[in-house]
Amino acid sequence: MGLGADGMNASAGGRRVATRYWRSLQELVDSPQFRKRMEEEFPGLAAELDNPATAATRRSFLKVMAASLALAGLTACRWPKERIMPFAYRPEGYVPGVPQNFATALELGGAALGVLVKSVDGRPIKIEGNPLHPSSLGAATAWAQAAVLELYDPERSTTLVRREGGQRRVPTWDDFLAYAGAQMAAFESRRGRGFAVLSEATSSPTVQGLRDALLTRLPEARWYEFEPVSRDAERTGLAQVYGTPLRARFHMHRAQVIVALDSDLLYGHPEALRHAREWGLARRGEDGAMPRLHAAEALLSVTGAAADHRLALPAGSIAALLLQIAAEVARGGVALPTGVGSLSPFAAGSPEADFAARAARDLLRAGQRGLVVVGPGQPADVHAVVAALNDALGAVGWTVTYVADPDPGRGPHLEAIGELAAGLAEGSVEALWVLGGNPAWDAPAELEFAQRLAACQQTLHLSLYDNETSRLCRWHLPRAHALESWGDVRAWDGTVSVVQPLIEPLYGGRTPAEVLAALLGESAFSAYDLTRRSFAARWGSGEDPWRQALSDGVVKGTAWSALAPRLSVEAVAEAAARLAVPPARGRELVLYADGKVYDGRFANSGWLQELPDPITTLTWDNAATLAPEDAKELGVKHGEVVRLTHAGRSVEAPVCVMPGQARGVVGLALGYGRQAGGSVAAGAGVNAYPLRTAAAPHVLAGAEVQRTGRRRLLATAQEHHVIDTLGMAERGRRVGSLIREASLSEYQRYPEFAKNPAWTNARPLWRKIQFKGEHQWGMAIDLSACIGCGACTIACQAENNIPVVGRKQVANGREMHWIRVDRYFAGDPSDPQVRFQPMPCQHCENAPCEAVCPVAATLHSEEGLNQMVYNRCVGTRYCSNNCPYKVRRFNFFNNFAKVPATTRMVFNPEVTVRGRGVMEKCTFCIQRIEAGKIAAKNQRRPLRDGEIVPACAQTCPTKAIVFGDLKDPDSEVSRLHRHPRAYGILEELFTKPRTLYLAKLTNPADVAGEGEASS
Amino acid sequence: MKNDAEPGRFQFPAWTNLIRPLLAVVLVTVPAYLVVLVWLGGSPKTTDVGYRPEQPVPFSHALHAGQLGMDCRYCHTTVERAAFAAVPPTQTCMNCHKQVRSASPRLLPVRESYASGLPIPWVKVHDLPDYTYFDHSAHVRAGVGCASCHGRVDTMEVVQQVQPLSMGWCLDCHRNPDPHLRPPELVTAMDWVAPGDPAEYGRRLREAAGIKPSVDCWTCHR
Repeated sequence: MGLGADGMNASAGGRRVATRYWRSLQELVDSPQFRKRMEEEFPGLAAELDNPATAATRRSFLKVMAASLALAGLTACRWPKERIMPFAYRPEGYVPGVPQNFATALELGGAALGVLVKSVDGRPIKIEGNPLHPSSLGAATAWAQAAVLELYDPERSTTLVRREGGQRRVPTWDDFLAYAGAQMAAFESRRGRGFAVLSEATSSPTVQGLRDALLTRLPEARWYEFEPVSRDAERTGLAQVYGTPLRARFHMHRAQVIVALDSDLLYGHPEALRHAREWGLARRGEDGAMPRLHAAEALLSVTGAAADHRLALPAGSIAALLLQIAAEVARGGVALPTGVGSLSPFAAGSPEADFAARAARDLLRAGQRGLVVVGPGQPADVHAVVAALNDALGAVGWTVTYVADPDPGRGPHLEAIGELAAGLAEGSVEALWVLGGNPAWDAPAELEFAQRLAACQQTLHLSLYDNETSRLCRWHLPRAHALESWGDVRAWDGTVSVVQPLIEPLYGGRTPAEVLAALLGESAFSAYDLTRRSFAARWGSGEDPWRQALSDGVVKGTAWSALAPRLSVEAVAEAAARLAVPPARGRELVLYADGKVYDGRFANSGWLQELPDPITTLTWDNAATLAPEDAKELGVKHGEVVRLTHAGRSVEAPVCVMPGQARGVVGLALGYGRQAGGSVAAGAGVNAYPLRTAAAPHVLAGAEVQRTGRRRLLATAQEHHVIDTLGMAERGRRVGSLIREASLSEYQRYPEFAKNPAWTNARPLWRKIQFKGEHQWGMAIDLSACIGCGACTIACQAENNIPVVGRKQVANGREMHWIRVDRYFAGDPSDPQVRFQPMPCQHCENAPCEAVCPVAATLHSEEGLNQMVYNRCVGTRYCSNNCPYKVRRFNFFNNFAKVPATTRMVFNPEVTVRGRGVMEKCTFCIQRIEAGKIAAKNQRRPLRDGEIVPACAQTCPTKAIVFGDLKDPDSEVSRLHRHPRAYGILEELFTKPRTLYLAKLTNPADVAGEGEASS
Repeated sequence: MKNDAEPGRFQFPAWTNLIRPLLAVVLVTVPAYLVVLVWLGGSPKTTDVGYRPEQPVPFSHALHAGQLGMDCRYCHTTVERAAFAAVPPTQTCMNCHKQVRSASPRLLPVRESYASGLPIPWVKVHDLPDYTYFDHSAHVRAGVGCASCHGRVDTMEVVQQVQPLSMGWCLDCHRNPDPHLRPPELVTAMDWVAPGDPAEYGRRLREAAGIKPSVDCWTCHR
């Protein structure tokens, strides 16, 4: 009783929630390939062993093993001489080998994330979130963690380049200063006519001050700002109805119900970390209250996966859905402007109508605690209507607040780039300086920006890489990385942070502020002087405010205050009228910024390329995602290349069949297929920008898909590491026990739903091991909070020197991530639920891996950690064979031999760099544990709870991962281990893991329609 | 009986009778010899003890720490705070040597380093493998004297390694720290000897301070 045939989620009361979990469509179908994969712990190894080319017969295999055992003992010879190189002058307060932390900020798309950077021996090696920063709150995104690898990229631009008349020369910065002086003189004589600057979005007050100075001196010069991906549609929509551009800020912790329409609020927003934190904290169900999330989207996203109710529909139909929701809300008595709330485009009883009715019901009940959010890919009119809806609900000032846009005079990015392209084409722009960005590659396709740029005679590009745009410009200037620069930036909410460098510019790069200052002929060609001057003018001169800002990482009190704007009812009605357009026929192609490489700027980052996408689990590639029924209709399988055509433009991309995607929609991520992005980016994915136009930057209606008959190997991480549980027959029953979940109401009635009494009361056959350590380490991971973003994977990679293995090895299942986020689907493939489960080493008390190591390279510590000793390991791999969680990673190759010297600077000196042939796995960040213990012992005090934080726990935006001392009954992890929702994975194998998971809670509306008030 | 043989028939010479017993002796002694050779020759006691590399500057601890009585921590300043007992920066040397023997030819590398800002390339004497992580502060704060591991550095003209610093040697102390403990404030007293029985004295110190040296692998092998 209690164990349903389909898994653990049958509550004791007899009401079943039939949930059968599956990892991929192949598994669901139980195809022969999948079975074969399952049977081999290391897919591909059997083939290698049989390959006559490697001649690895069983006999020679054993011979090699014996030889390596023998060699294992001969390690006592004297090693080469090592030198100690102390400083000549040691900086004050500097202790060699002890890391220092500096606060700085990283900017993406004009919004900053405050970070703390750990620096060892004068070089930054690890990035963490700054707890004081309102946008990070101590967490960091995957790209922020990877910024430290970007800093050490040897393929960054190392010199200035001058391309003139087919020749390539290497000038100096002095040559540039002379050129800038000459240019400025020429511009001034014309009052700046013909001169334009194209900048990426920047919130830097210093740069903005220099821009204003420039435009004052050159009144007829133009300043354009362009970002391929931005929230401009929201800005324009709010400007339509509120009269001036505004910025919306969402407050998840105040919301009782959130309706997300094509919005990836938890993952793809400048304040995503704060949203995720508020969301994660609210979803624990502690007080019996939880917010509810309704999501409607075309492509499965992290936010959609977290939703309690999800609807898949084409992005072009979101407007209609919005009107339907508004109609239901109006029917409930809320006064809406005319045109909004009168149309119900969907037939009663259709899934869209049901979704809208349910969402509206919740919104009506929530009132000001409701929130409707729409994504930046939707047109401005949709944003306008959503603003009206939020206003009518009373949410403005509570769950959504508006602050003034910092640059109201700026036109939208797509208009700006169009104007610039036209200016270049007709010759009214004769000189163009491009600061950052890569417009030749990511500008809208119909503008033919690359050709226009090449035709212009006086062009200059300041960028990190000598990329596609640089090669078409006459001058290329190397840009200083954010970790090498002085500057200032603002967060999405306006909070100012001073950007301070962690290291001298490795390649002599300069910041945009310095380039502008050079043009203006300022005496200070130094970002430090410029920043200092700007800071003193705005936030107080003198040492104290400056040092406080540097120490905190934020300038207190600089957040913009919320406004109470007045909605223009007429503007809303006009916007709503424009919405009532039937969607076009044919397939819909949705282009979106990739979660890892963003708009393509991070394409050369090995860490980010190898991080599995949370939704598709793709690495090193993008793919045309198709719903399963669409794929069947077209007759394409996973990995087959198709041609996507829209408005006469086409690209070819491999297919990735995605459960949960809307019918008739093809998704393709931007940011891949770089031609001049570096060796890591080369060959990774296909370029989607040729399809993108200013008229349809996100949703391309009327696209076609054709088969090409070719195939491409897609390296996904979804079919490896499947937990083999007692054979195939038992698998279906057991897999359901990996993710345990219940709705909030079920949890309130049966709090112990996640426990399995059959195993908790099991009596062991042998004596219980006594751990004598002063501390007993353990971890708890809350599945209600985890949104699957993957920041933990990258943080662990950065902290523990985990290598990048490349696409081919990922396809072989040999990626080295110590913590991975498993993705499970449940239910109907066309409308599945998605669950994420981070899987680090469980540090089992009865570890199956320890019992089988022939050389005792893995054993248990007195503090409960499963230790992996690299220098003893001979590479038997029996331990990973025995691990039921498949968390042990083996170094099949010497992954560090090919790491360039510059990139080696990113390694953490506290963690051994592993060579070929040794096993490695999550260590609970033993280096941090030891550092914490030694620090406490040296200060003669006990360890405090929360003092030792592994890298994954530190960066998790939702604080889903908690680590601590189980011996301390008051620690957070002890409390979570005692929690009714806590359970161990595969505990029936009696491994007694030290990592417990807290079962997921969902908050769906009651089937009957009433549903309990959720707060 | 050399002439007993029939003509044309081969007979082994007499000395071949010694082959079998000789082979037996060789097959026993040669492996034994090789084992002893590797065991003793490969042991850190052979390869590491007595390692005394030549340093770029003829710095004499016997003079500075011994005769002049400078405390170890005057130069090795971080030994109580950090894992590394840092070799001092050149400016520490120049604190005195700006005036003392300021023109000595033996101090030329030091002056050059001070003038150029480039480091003096010292050779590391006590070198542990890269996969082991030793923390000075934990040991010094617990009361392990400098001389316990580094020997009487205050009598060395050139620093040499006197202890094998092998894992077995470390474990000997970790399993039985009592004979090697002293009050933490006396760690730099090079000629200190425990009053009475060192083991008993150390036991009382250990119990008072709650010293529990770990023998878990990950304490050092991260």
